Amino acid sequence: MVSKTIPLESAAEAVPDLDGDEPVEVSVLIPVTERPEPLVALYEEYAAPIRALGVRYEFIFAAEPWFRELTQPLATLAAAGEPVRAVVVDQTTGETRLLKAAAAFCRGPVVLTLPAYRRIEASALPDLIACIHEGADLAVARRWPRRDPWINRIQNRILHRIIGRLADDRIHDVACGVRAFRREVLLEMPLYGDFSRFLPIFAQRDGYRVEELAVPQHPADARARIYGPGVYLRRVIDLLNLFFLLRFTDKPLRFFGMIGIVLGMIGSAILLVLLGQRLGGQGIADRPFLLLGVLFVVVGAQAIALGLIGEIIVHLHAPARKPYRIARSTTTARD
Amino acid sequence: MTCAPELSVVVPLYNEEESVAPLVDAVRGALGDGTDWELILVDDGSTDATARIAADLSAADTRVRLVRLARNYGQTPAMQAGFDHARGRIVVSMDGDLQNDPLDIPCLVARLEEGYDLVAGYRVNRQDRLLTRKVPSWFANRIIAWITGVRIRDNGCSLKAYRGELLRRLHLYSDMHRFIPAVAAATVGARITELPVRHHPRRYGRSKYGLSRTVKVLLDLLILMMIRSFRERPLLLFAIGAVAAAAAGAVFTAAVVAVYILFPPQQADGMVLPAAALLWYGLGVYLLILGLIAETAVGESRRRQAAELPVAREVAW
Repeated sequence: MVSKTIPLESAAEAVPDLDGDEPVEVSVLIPVTERPEPLVALYEEYAAPIRALGVRYEFIFAAEPWFRELTQPLATLAAAGEPVRAVVVDQTTGETRLLKAAAAFCRGPVVLTLPAYRRIEASALPDLIACIHEGADLAVARRWPRRDPWINRIQNRILHRIIGRLADDRIHDVACGVRAFRREVLLEMPLYGDFSRFLPIFAQRDGYRVEELAVPQHPADARARIYGPGVYLRRVIDLLNLFFLLRFTDKPLRFFGMIGIVLGMIGSAILLVLLGQRLGGQGIADRPFLLLGVLFVVVGAQAIALGLIGEIIVHLHAPARKPYRIARSTTTARD
Repeated sequence: MTCAPELSVVVPLYNEEESVAPLVDAVRGALGDGTDWELILVDDGSTDATARIAADLSAADTRVRLVRLARNYGQTPAMQAGFDHARGRIVVSMDGDLQNDPLDIPCLVARLEEGYDLVAGYRVNRQDRLLTRKVPSWFANRIIAWITGVRIRDNGCSLKAYRGELLRRLHLYSDMHRFIPAVAAATVGARITELPVRHHPRRYGRSKYGLSRTVKVLLDLLILMMIRSFRERPLLLFAIGAVAAAAAGAVFTAAVVAVYILFPPQQADGMVLPAAALLWYGLGVYLLILGLIAETAVGESRRRQAAELPVAREVAW
């Protein structure tokens, strides 16, 4: 069993050691985070269809140090000669970084990410892999048809209706987590925080070719899910964040400035009307509208000032950022 | 191709399938058969045949290079991509719609060699619609000149020549391609001049601009103002805003006092005026706090840059 404890920075540089004669073609990457199912059974179920393909594959279980013991039962599999590896990643902030750090250890050109619990029928995995071989950069599984109770379906419908509106694209199942990548895509994309969920949307925005594939849902996944209010609040915040990141990352003043200009204009209009009345001889000192007008102008000015702060931050970071991505098939661009 | 060419011409292209081939011919015609120049075509995620045609042209002539972006990013990122790939000591940027004339390139370069970092072309007898293009552009250029202090008659003309070392210190994002001279002057202290250039009517395709961008340009001007005067001292900008807010608060406070003196107490105890005055003061405090935050962000980044030596040059008497 190969086991390494490497800080995030050096994990990216680690060169995978090739021990076999035949190169690995498919790496299956499983982030072990909260509520994993028994991992040995999970491996048996999902390895079967890939083994049937007849390609050399490997399973990599990536865990944070405190979930280390969950991956221990796999040691027996490794001892029995199964291609199972474990990677421990220190200092991660969320599943996305875990995926990215572990991707450096994947040896296959195709990386398949699976959640540590059964979301889809294992028989669908070869289709996802085939999709990458046909030229997609990223293949996303969509659980369809759904076997869930109606409560899940409604939640899901609402969430994706909003996402579709925000992101102008048709990703129908952001929560599934079953995805096939070209390995470079996973290494190239700037992944951080809680954003593994929206990864396909960002990939599409960065010009990667993203395909969605309908795959049958696993029966174990089809139970009713009703969460606490905290979870729903986090989803709403995620969506707000997504909206801002997609539209205004490099132009925050467009967002705050528009709000500020609209509020400021409403406030100014109110104050001008009041000023006109005052000049006409009417008293305005006791008019609540005076307060409202001032409030609008003040909040508008605050919004613009905040937008300027955003612009300062963007401006200071500009030297370190590349505002574009070159297409994969630059046949003639030298350098 | 082993050594870097002397001159790089950068042309962003977005859905210009008819223009690419005539453009490459025109550049070749203007710059001659030598190998001391290169033409960098940046395909900004075109959905038509632009990329294919450009790739063919590039395969036929080693001086023509193609950079393909993964999607349509917009003109500023496309231009930055071209600049990042330009190897020349001098770089010329140009529109891909044949409205600029490559025959002007040698003149721009000659002017640059007289000791400038940036030479901006300005279009004499511009061939565009009067009401939707020329009039707004005239106002915009006046405002830009007034706010930035860079007196350029035509910021919208893409035909410009730059010293390569200037571009390497310039980082464009958002929609900054409209303000390159102003940004260059503000951030790296470039020596800038301008030169009249030819302008042809559009031969193919449609213009990709409209009047709708006025508000965006206004907001961008606010950013320019900040970049120009307050890059080192952002607190100043916010403090000016805070003083203005406090002044408004003072006016309202005076009104409160006046009401209190002029009217009997029963009538003078309304809450509207004092509350409005407090709102203004609140805004003042808020702006000061934001100014301090801006100062923190700028200071942090300056400390990181402090290790690098500022760019200096010895000048002739």
